[in-house]
Amino acid sequence: MAFLNLSSPHHHNLSKTSSIMMWVLLATIPGLLVQTYFYGYGTLINLIWASVLAVALEAIVLRLRRRPIRPHIADGSALVTAFLLALALPPFSPWWLTLVAVLFAIVFAKHLYGGLGNNPFNPAMVGYALCLIAFPVSMTQWASPEITLSLGQQLQWFWLEQIDGGIDAWTQATPLDLMRHTKGLTLNELSSSNPQLNLGLSASGWINAAYLLGGLALLAKRVFTWHAPVAMLASLGFCAGLFHMGEPDLYPSATQHLFTGATMLAAFFIVTDPVTSATSRKGKLVFGAGVGILVFIIRSYGSYPDAFAFAILLMNLSAPLIDTYTQPKAYGHHQKHNQGDR
Amino acid sequence: MHKTWNFHGGVHPTENKRQSNQQPIMVMPVPKQLVLPLNQHIGKAAKAVIEVGEYVLKGQLIASAQGFVSANIHAPSSGYINTIEDRSLPHPSALLGPCIIIDTDGKDQWIDLTPQSNPKQLPKLELLDLIQTAGITGMGGAGFPSAVKLQPKNTIHTLIINAAECEPYITADDRLIREHAEQVMAGIELLQHLLDQPHCLIGIEDNKPEAIMALNDAAQQLSGVEVCVIPTKYPSGGEKQLIEILTGQQVPHAGIPADIGMVCHNVGTVKAIADAVLLGQPLIQRITTVTGKATANAGNYQVLIGTQVSDLLAFAKVDLNQTSRLVMGGPMMGFTLQDIHTPLIKGSNCILAAADLELAPVADHHSCIRCGLCEVACPAELLPQQLFWFAKAEEFEKAQHHNLSDCIECGACAWVCPSQIPLVQYYRYAKGRVKTRNHEAQLAEHARLRFETREQRLIDEKLAKEEKRKARATAAAAAQAAKRAANPTAEDPIAAALARVNKQKYESQTAAVPLTPEDQYKELKTAAAITRTKLKKTCKALENAQSLDHEQADNLQETVALLTVKADQAQAKLQAYETKLGLDPEKEKILLVAVAKANSAVRKLEKSIANAEDPQTIEQQILEAKAIHAAATQALSDHQANPAAKPTPAQEP
Repeated sequence: MAFLNLSSPHHHNLSKTSSIMMWVLLATIPGLLVQTYFYGYGTLINLIWASVLAVALEAIVLRLRRRPIRPHIADGSALVTAFLLALALPPFSPWWLTLVAVLFAIVFAKHLYGGLGNNPFNPAMVGYALCLIAFPVSMTQWASPEITLSLGQQLQWFWLEQIDGGIDAWTQATPLDLMRHTKGLTLNELSSSNPQLNLGLSASGWINAAYLLGGLALLAKRVFTWHAPVAMLASLGFCAGLFHMGEPDLYPSATQHLFTGATMLAAFFIVTDPVTSATSRKGKLVFGAGVGILVFIIRSYGSYPDAFAFAILLMNLSAPLIDTYTQPKAYGHHQKHNQGDR
Repeated sequence: MHKTWNFHGGVHPTENKRQSNQQPIMVMPVPKQLVLPLNQHIGKAAKAVIEVGEYVLKGQLIASAQGFVSANIHAPSSGYINTIEDRSLPHPSALLGPCIIIDTDGKDQWIDLTPQSNPKQLPKLELLDLIQTAGITGMGGAGFPSAVKLQPKNTIHTLIINAAECEPYITADDRLIREHAEQVMAGIELLQHLLDQPHCLIGIEDNKPEAIMALNDAAQQLSGVEVCVIPTKYPSGGEKQLIEILTGQQVPHAGIPADIGMVCHNVGTVKAIADAVLLGQPLIQRITTVTGKATANAGNYQVLIGTQVSDLLAFAKVDLNQTSRLVMGGPMMGFTLQDIHTPLIKGSNCILAAADLELAPVADHHSCIRCGLCEVACPAELLPQQLFWFAKAEEFEKAQHHNLSDCIECGACAWVCPSQIPLVQYYRYAKGRVKTRNHEAQLAEHARLRFETREQRLIDEKLAKEEKRKARATAAAAAQAAKRAANPTAEDPIAAALARVNKQKYESQTAAVPLTPEDQYKELKTAAAITRTKLKKTCKALENAQSLDHEQADNLQETVALLTVKADQAQAKLQAYETKLGLDPEKEKILLVAVAKANSAVRKLEKSIANAEDPQTIEQQILEAKAIHAAATQALSDHQANPAAKPTPAQEP
């Protein structure tokens, strides 16, 4: 009779990577729904298209790399990348834009570095940043929350890039964009003179709130620890609040910073990517705080409408360095504990 | 209620304790054969002190401790020593090791025991000796000889009794406390006495209410003993973790609890100590849990040390066809058994006969995504995910820098890992490699030192030799100079001696065969030539020696001096003989030259005759020249025939 010969522990809590990924996907649903409500079917079309592409590309690359396809597809990491990209890309993305972003994310940012777990940069953010630099016009065509396109119109744009009355009739600048190009007005003047800004602000406020909800659910499920998102939101809020107190006419308030753009999506779904962030909890605090500060700087002084892709990629670069300096003290290495009567 | 602290991390695996803790401890009958490994503890293996075929009584010493960190082994039942041979040991690798095999006779007859009714009256050293002789080792699993821990260098202010039993499935300590709380307290009293009355904290997880009650009841009679109920969390029963829970202090890195004035004993060990002292019984039995879905009679069994797992499983009615994995110890830190005949040893607290899907299935593991769940779970406050990457990449330096050695291999990280990576296995591998590398580095360092010492020794030897030689040379020169200064006219004694010898030789020769003067002359000539040649050769050798700075140079110098004297003497003798004979050594030469001259004059003339205008005159001249040549030849041959004769003056042409 042969018994199994295995190393301890022989017990396991039976958790799986795929269940973590599934929770992340589920947690995006509130945000997805609210975003669809405000900006139309574009996000949904994006999501389906990106998912199909991501899974297909993942399978092709796995085959080329001679890795087992089924278990790697089943871990759901490609779908998470697809979801995050689809949510981050503007609703008016044509098919090729999503294709470029997903291709670059899955093939270049993920698999060329060795696949899941080995990529130094967040794949979704690499894809997003590439498109932002290469196709700035397409990347800034955000729908106006006032107008809703029919599914047919949306698909027509998606596939042919044609729309009645031209795209400019249907899009508008994001609130962050509007607040940055104030044309000499104070924020209050801008707000009273531009009803679009208020509309945009309220729409993105709702969307951010929905992502916050999803993020809190993940936190409750212990998919990640609170360190990175809290540090990021705190540092962004702190910087924004400080500057707003100094020059309220020029700098939007902390609340506006926290509830516009991709703040909550980034805080709970991207900064928390374990593969590319710092390792220890102390390291995650530094990592999150770094992202928050960079976001504030780029939003306030940079030339792009939002800053998350760049802020996160820059912090991805710094993660190994952060790890070096934030290694926690192990049991028995704490100074305060070692005061026994030796 | 004693204040408790929390330790970092920890996990909450399903406890699975009820299967085995509901029935009282069952006594397993004496098996037919007992297998006792000589090394059941940490430290040096014991040495067998019985002969094969010998009859032993229950409790008789069969193997004695070797050194300070070692433990005695006693016969768990009466019977005959069958053999001493290698059997598979309770070890993850199913390693073979020497075991004493006893065929029991079923009488289970005790040796004479000497119980101590009042042990506190005994001197402490004697008490310690009783514990040491009884072969008691830690019964929680590690198996460290207990007596060693009772002789700390530091003052112990806190005695910690580990009754946490945090591993799932195991209930041996639980049942032991419920049924033997009084004996446990008696043991604690002994330990407190031995360690100068430290405060005693008993750590027990709150999932054992009956045992807690039993302890509380028993503890009432004792002062300075507190029962501390701690929250159930794995691995609260780890020594370091329990100390932190109960005292808020951490055992320093690479240190032991005694460094912070504490000592920790397992509750089973404490009971064994009480048995050893109060009843005089050495450690020959223990309580072992048999559990798992393949076990019909799951529960706790009082078994003799050396009982084979197969016997125990049969007694507990384990269906071996149902079980695919036999674990000795708990599911978190135990190891799988390959050989069912492996014996139970002093530290074997549980046999888990698990049914097919009871424990974690063998899963293909996925990539690490650094989710950090392991870091949250790690009770040693390490970064398990980083250690994993380092172990995988064989970056052992980095792994050590991340405190690999502080890993207690509790398995909490692997338990939570969503990628199901066998993390502990990676750490064990890395630890093994680090150990091997350190060992190799030590060997290399040792070899380097040896080589360097040897080189230095050789250099020193050479220098010392050189020094000695120089000193000798200077001393010799000084002695010679002193001699010369004392007696400047004295002949070289060696030369004088040699000369005497030669003279004697010569005299004896001349006495025997009187030589003709010619022969004597010839001999002297040869002797002079030989000494000259010798001198020349030695001079050359000396030159060579000096250029190479050879040790022989000094000797050669002396020889040259000697030969110079000899050569001079030989020459002087030759000359003296020549003068005595009236010989002129130049004479022959002159004559030879005259002959050659005459000869060449004849040749010249003969050549010139062909071209001469007046051949007759020349012919005349030739005749004259021939006459001169003949005369010269005559003179030479005359001289050679009789060198002493008056030379004939050569005629001028």
